[in-house]
Amino acid sequence: MISVKNLQFSYTRQPFIENMSFEVKDGEIFGFLGPSGAGKSTLQKILTGLLRNYTGSVIVSDTEVKRHDNSFYENIGVDFEFPSLYEKLTARENLRFFSSLYRKQTDIDYLLERVGLLHEANKRVAEYSKGMKSRINFIKALLHDPILLFLDEPTSGLDPSNAGRIKEMILQEKAKGKTIILTTHNMYDATELCDRVAFIVDGELRALDIPRKLIMSRGASKVRYTYSQNGREEGAEIPLNQTGEDSLLQSLLRENRLLSIHSSEPTLNDIFVEITGRRLQ
Amino acid sequence: MKVKPLLIQDIKFQYKYGFYFLYLVFSVFYITLLYALPVAWREKAAILMIFSDPAAMGLFFMGAIVLFEKGERVLDSIAVSPAKPYEYMLSKLVSIGVISTVVALVIGFSGGVIANHFYFIAGVFLCSCLFSSVGIILAAKITTLNQFILATIPAQVLINIPAIAYLFGWKPFPLLLHPGVCMIELCENGTNALPAIIILILWVILVAVLAEKAVAKMLRSVGGFKL
Ligand SMILES: Nc1ncnc2c1ncn2[C@@H]1O[C@H](COP(=O)(O)OP(=O)(O)OP(=O)(O)O)[C@@H](O)[C@H]1O
Ligand SMILES: [Mg+2]
Repeated sequence: MISVKNLQFSYTRQPFIENMSFEVKDGEIFGFLGPSGAGKSTLQKILTGLLRNYTGSVIVSDTEVKRHDNSFYENIGVDFEFPSLYEKLTARENLRFFSSLYRKQTDIDYLLERVGLLHEANKRVAEYSKGMKSRINFIKALLHDPILLFLDEPTSGLDPSNAGRIKEMILQEKAKGKTIILTTHNMYDATELCDRVAFIVDGELRALDIPRKLIMSRGASKVRYTYSQNGREEGAEIPLNQTGEDSLLQSLLRENRLLSIHSSEPTLNDIFVEITGRRLQ
Repeated sequence: MKVKPLLIQDIKFQYKYGFYFLYLVFSVFYITLLYALPVAWREKAAILMIFSDPAAMGLFFMGAIVLFEKGERVLDSIAVSPAKPYEYMLSKLVSIGVISTVVALVIGFSGGVIANHFYFIAGVFLCSCLFSSVGIILAAKITTLNQFILATIPAQVLINIPAIAYLFGWKPFPLLLHPGVCMIELCENGTNALPAIIILILWVILVAVLAEKAVAKMLRSVGGFKL
């Protein structure tokens, strides 16, 4: 779906994105993870054909994006980081308008229903809360049933239940065979949703893999347990893959003397810090 | 062709954002003023009003519309839609052009100055397109209303002064190459109306092409800038 080779781009004379290469397969959810200013939105603008003065090759659904024509956008849906809506028009009027720009159209009411805004669709967007705007903005990207979706922080500012709905819809789009590029600061979302994630720092791609593999690649998971010994609470920690050799743990298990037992694995955030030396947010 | 949905949206936008109401207020004000003036002045005053208001309003309204769209970031979404820059621009020119022409006709009838309907309508509509295109070019490069108003001053002077001079009798022939003068000539149904319409069309094409380039550049640069 996307193939980037030796991409080079900068807003200024200073080098920024240098020699970046990666591929995104059909039907995959691909995450861009990185701190503020890393170049995630810049990358998204290059992939969506807004920034054309790059060198190298960026192929998106068989088109070199700097040479795209406008029908290129019939198959692409973009959910920007910020609401992009006419404030004085109602949500439904906004959706109708954006939908009318595309050849393919879907059921607006169904989408409104899915994000729980069907009954407030006739309110002006100016009267919406931040989270409502961002939900409308999200379904705006789905109006023309695009095969490739760019989502920039789709769940930021949403309460857990609404964030859950959006994530569910993202997975549903994937199930329909859509390819999804997800930009986020949120490592939980990335771990939960993405088939693969790319770590981006200072315009550079520092790692790219399946989230679980990235997590496993560094510091093996550990098991931590506590037990009572002579009336005092004692604790121990061993690597998860050595529990079979821990005779103390074995006997504690047999004798039902464990007070607690936890496995702790590094989060994507820990891995990010370890690989890039930078924090995500 | 996305011009039709864009046009419907522009009309809805202009209605909801109160532009038509403003036009109505201005028209009532101008017509009242027209009847308050001595009859001998009425004709020139009416043409001056038509030139400086319905036609030139495009310059300000277009600026306001584009700045609104920038501020609400809808340009970002339009930039990644199948709509082309020329379609975006054409829809704006037509929507403002039509309402300008309607208002001009109302003032024109009230002032009793319409000698030739075809020339009158063509003059106002084309002139409106010209001003709107200039408005788009300026607004494309600008982010605040104050900057925009400042930037329109030189444009106003360049377009207005020769046209007003012509209206009040200073009529050297080369002045007819000036688009504002062409519009006056057309509204007055002057002897040079035919060349005037051709010259005005050429001007509109020239400035509209520049406006299309400005829109294309503007659409490419949105999506990242933070207000
Ligand atoms: N239009 C622009 N002109 C010049 N520099 C820009 C422009 N847009 C972004 N930059 C710079 O490019 C760098 C990357 O910005 P970008 O918006 O891609 O970051 P990001 O990873 O999306 O950050 P965030 O998580 O905050 O959205 C930043 O240093 C930013 O200042
Ligand atoms: Mg960003």
